[in-house]
Amino acid sequence: MLLREVEYAKPSSVPEALSLLAGNDGARALAGGQTLINVMKARAASPDMLVDLSGLEELKGIELGADGTLSIGPMTTYAELIASAEAKARPILGEVCAQIADVQVRNRGTIGGNVCANDPTNHLPPLMAAVGAQMTVTGSGGERTVPAKDFFLGVYMTAVGPGELLTRIAIPAGKHDGFAAVTLGVDGTCIVNAAASANGSLRVALGCVDAVPVVVEAESPDAVRAAVRGAGLEPPSDVHASSEYRAHLAEVLAERAAREAVAKS
Amino acid sequence: MDVAVSINGTLYERDVEPRKLLIHFLRDDLDLTGSHIGCDTGNCGACSVIVDGKLVKSCMLLAVQANGSTVETVEGLADGDELNALQQAFSDHHALQCGYCTPGMLMSATALLRESPSPTDDEIRKALQGNICRCTGYWNIFEAVKAAAR
Amino acid sequence: MTTVAPEKVAVPTKRWSGQSVPRKEDRRLTQGQGVFVDDVKRHGMGYLHFVRSPYAHAHITSIDVSKAEEIKGVFGTLTGEEVAALTDPFFQIAGAPGGQIKDFSLAVGKVRYVGEAVVAVVAETRELARDASELVEVEYEPLPALVDARKALDADAPLIHDDAGGNLMWQGIYEWGDLDAAFAEADRVVKIDELHFHRFNSTPLECDGALVEYNRGTGQWTIHTNNQFPGFAAIMMGPAMRCGLDKLRFVTQDIGGGFGNKITSHPQLVACCLLARKLNRPVQWTEWRTDFHMSMSHGNERWFHDTEVAVKADGTLLGFRTKALDDAGAWLRYEPLGGVIWAQVTPGMYRWRHIRVDFTQVATNKAPVSPNRGYSRMQHLWFTERVIDIVAKELELDPVEVRKRNYVRAEDMPYETPNGCIYDSGDYAQMLDMALELIGPVEERRRDAQERGKLFGVGIGSTLDSGTNNFGQSQLINAELQFSGNNEVATVKLDIFGEIVVTLGTTPQGQGHETTAAQVVADILECSVDDVHVRAGHDSYWNSHAGFSGTYASQFAVTGLSAVKGATEMLAAEIKKLAGAVFGGVPVEALELAGGGVRIKDNPDAFLPFMACGAIINANNAGLPDDLDVTLNCRYVYRPPFQVPDVERKYGNLTLTYAAQIHVAVVEVDPETGYYDVVDYAAVDDCGKRINPQIVEGQVMGATAQAIGAAVHETYEYDDDGNLLTPNFYDYHVPHALDMPPLQTGFIESPSPFTPLGTKGMGEGGGAGIHAICAAIQDATGAIVTDSHNPYQRVWELLQ
Repeated sequence: MLLREVEYAKPSSVPEALSLLAGNDGARALAGGQTLINVMKARAASPDMLVDLSGLEELKGIELGADGTLSIGPMTTYAELIASAEAKARPILGEVCAQIADVQVRNRGTIGGNVCANDPTNHLPPLMAAVGAQMTVTGSGGERTVPAKDFFLGVYMTAVGPGELLTRIAIPAGKHDGFAAVTLGVDGTCIVNAAASANGSLRVALGCVDAVPVVVEAESPDAVRAAVRGAGLEPPSDVHASSEYRAHLAEVLAERAAREAVAKS
Repeated sequence: MDVAVSINGTLYERDVEPRKLLIHFLRDDLDLTGSHIGCDTGNCGACSVIVDGKLVKSCMLLAVQANGSTVETVEGLADGDELNALQQAFSDHHALQCGYCTPGMLMSATALLRESPSPTDDEIRKALQGNICRCTGYWNIFEAVKAAAR
Repeated sequence: MTTVAPEKVAVPTKRWSGQSVPRKEDRRLTQGQGVFVDDVKRHGMGYLHFVRSPYAHAHITSIDVSKAEEIKGVFGTLTGEEVAALTDPFFQIAGAPGGQIKDFSLAVGKVRYVGEAVVAVVAETRELARDASELVEVEYEPLPALVDARKALDADAPLIHDDAGGNLMWQGIYEWGDLDAAFAEADRVVKIDELHFHRFNSTPLECDGALVEYNRGTGQWTIHTNNQFPGFAAIMMGPAMRCGLDKLRFVTQDIGGGFGNKITSHPQLVACCLLARKLNRPVQWTEWRTDFHMSMSHGNERWFHDTEVAVKADGTLLGFRTKALDDAGAWLRYEPLGGVIWAQVTPGMYRWRHIRVDFTQVATNKAPVSPNRGYSRMQHLWFTERVIDIVAKELELDPVEVRKRNYVRAEDMPYETPNGCIYDSGDYAQMLDMALELIGPVEERRRDAQERGKLFGVGIGSTLDSGTNNFGQSQLINAELQFSGNNEVATVKLDIFGEIVVTLGTTPQGQGHETTAAQVVADILECSVDDVHVRAGHDSYWNSHAGFSGTYASQFAVTGLSAVKGATEMLAAEIKKLAGAVFGGVPVEALELAGGGVRIKDNPDAFLPFMACGAIINANNAGLPDDLDVTLNCRYVYRPPFQVPDVERKYGNLTLTYAAQIHVAVVEVDPETGYYDVVDYAAVDDCGKRINPQIVEGQVMGATAQAIGAAVHETYEYDDDGNLLTPNFYDYHVPHALDMPPLQTGFIESPSPFTPLGTKGMGEGGGAGIHAICAAIQDATGAIVTDSHNPYQRVWELLQ
């Protein structure tokens, strides 16, 4: 419950933030804190310095481009995204964010934090993988764009390296999306989740079944279960679900998410 | 680090360690013991307060992050000795038993009613989802918030 | 939410009793002005952090606190070695073998569960105590862990307590009636291999805590804490600490939920006391959520093996035999009382007469078990409800009809059970009808659910809330024990200015004692509840406590309120005696209390307000008759009418009152995933005369919510190494607002013939929600439900 000693800095520009992160080995970015503060309370990880990103205007805001691409600042909170008129260009984003935890968490938790934490039970990594998000990663050397399928590298690990920040998330507009989950209580932690996108081809991303989202493609919802079986999942067992049950849920939820995506007009 | 926080209309200036959680700053440093701690993973909501107009769990915020902010806690709800309509409704509808979750519950309901003066039943439940109660089963709390909304 | 009640209420309503009077507690609690133990501060206090074992079972080979103690701001430490020198082991309720274990306030020589406290560190700030605890070096030699109670008595099982010589803690055989005859008469014998009641508890939102001060000059400890049974704590702590019980002053004000889980904090309190004395400063201990989950008061996990039920073809139940295996965890803190307390409700709500229970309690490398809401009766009542539904299924009979055929009937009351307990009053069949009526017709709902691809199930859960223990039942566990009966104390006085002041011996955690006590007082003194001031909480210095004082076991409405009634009646009599003297020798029969004072019935203008009475006795008493025996400060000890039970036959009345609840749950199951929703729910209760209906209903609702949580999500699961997998609210999911089903409630009032106010203790709720949801899942899936805990995966597995 009680954190170890830590230094705190609140930079007012992205270059300043990057410099602090690069210059201090034990520095970590602090976004909404809805994950990191709890990790620090448990002393599961204890950064030497917290670099508070909340003063960085460049990391906020949602813009809808003329070509229909949504450009989302990673420090956008779930609540802000839900309320955003621009974000309605991709309704599934707000629909999924509205299922995350509770009002308090949604007022502070950020899209970028959820994505960069890459906890296997998080909602947004599979969603980003399904909608084909493009992540902009910025370091001292400059910017690069990483597609979602290459962004999630391992449990709690993403393409954002030491001294770098996720600075933008770009998502194409689209309406044919679905999301299905079995959770620990309503709006609770996901036991298994599945995000589907049927804008063009049908793509389903599964969460909670591996270190990173597992993406399958299928011709139609009828073919999704076979595609999931073909992925050869070996999900983890824990107190909430056995590996066998998770694998079964993955099939069922993948198909449901796919049907929902296809059904939307 | 120096922090200046306005809480229920009073400005507090203190020197705090960066690692100090806002809830501990309120309870231990400022003797504002109305907000409570019921867990250590940010799940229970007993510590809920309103910071710069937004409902948050003060156990997941550092005191230094509230520097320059306006904070509202349960201690600011009543008007002197007069319970406000929401507090009175909680009593009328037996929406509290041990009272431990109540301050956080009241802040969550306060935040809801500001945004949604006539909430539906579903909106009330959704708004209170982040506050655990072990005594009441929530049903009377829903009734109290509905009554305060009318 | 709707509430229905029958037209007639058995006992006429008085002025305050029977009304939902607004709670006195609410004013302070809604303003955040409650005083919970962590709100209490003392200048110079040290904050305590416990270093806890990471192993389920290990020898402690060395402890080095030097690095921690070197840190500036660390005031000191306490180890098991010191504790073993300064204190004696805690008194054990059991005789041999369980009673031979040596339980101290910190681990001595060995750790026996993950999270067991090994060293205490006290420092200037919370954070520093936490930091310094990481510098304490403890070396362990791990041992194999015993996690499955069913293996505890195997020859090669790890030995948890050398002093007990084995993992058997207690064993007893209970048998009444004639089982051979019953099984010979039976048309069918239904066999159930294994039923399992899972481990969970009520996770009160406030965890345990204390702030302990030591007065060197007087040797007095003042223990600000939220322990809910100070009488028990004192009996445990005094002998261990080698001090008189009066040296332990317990002070509580507001407690954030108890549910039984705050009874056995005495080991931590002893550590705080020793440190307060050693360090010569107040010591403050806050238990964090993870500490609580890992170490406090898990509910009894109980297996029922080789159950056989003798039944007639028409569903009449003749009797049963079963082997109950109870997992006590690593220490016996209130156990093995769980081994007898279930016998308060031996036949459940049914009329079978031939019963045998082989009860075995074992130790395991898990958190110690202590009372949890419904303590030990819940497990047994769940068992009887499972038997009813499984028998109904096997015989292809309607569970409603089987219940009605076998329920103890209203005309049987008071009903003596096979082991001599007396069910005081009740009408279970009527309650079942009411509950079913609240749910309404289900056939169309079932068809509608099926059209949506869902399985639909309806289940009944009947349960009893036995209240006001006869502690003589402890002698059935250990015939050497010198405990029996029960008591509670209250004082009522008139102060100098006529203020009516009440003190209670209880330690309420949300049950509204200040309010209901005021209602009883106001009715007797014929004044307003607003004129009655009930002191908040509990304080040993008020001298309104006795050996069994506290708030537990569903008894306040009987023990606490009867003590209040007794004290107030004493005061009323004294007021009349005083007035009679002041009026110049008027006999007391000619006087009555009214309007905040006392007057002559035939001449109401002759009126003495309470203020005058208080002033005369306290400050203006010259000239009163020499033999006027009046103090206007009355202390009353309520003692329920109990005998010591017959230890040989294990026979006798073990509880004074039997409140009842009957619940019906409706579920819809998604057969593809096992996910299910409770889509409708009804709860009907009967707790005799209700002093404050709103408070009673609140208890019913709260117990229902906790039972639903336990049925669907809440469980303390361990891995094979004895690590607790649900050590916080992230993994141990309790119901939140969106999880709650719609709720209908109803009630009847069957007053108890045995209590001064016709009330029955209530509040625990006997786990009715668990019984009902298990039954509903069985109805929906068609599969026999054998576990009390049914998360989605288990339901899916039932369907495979």
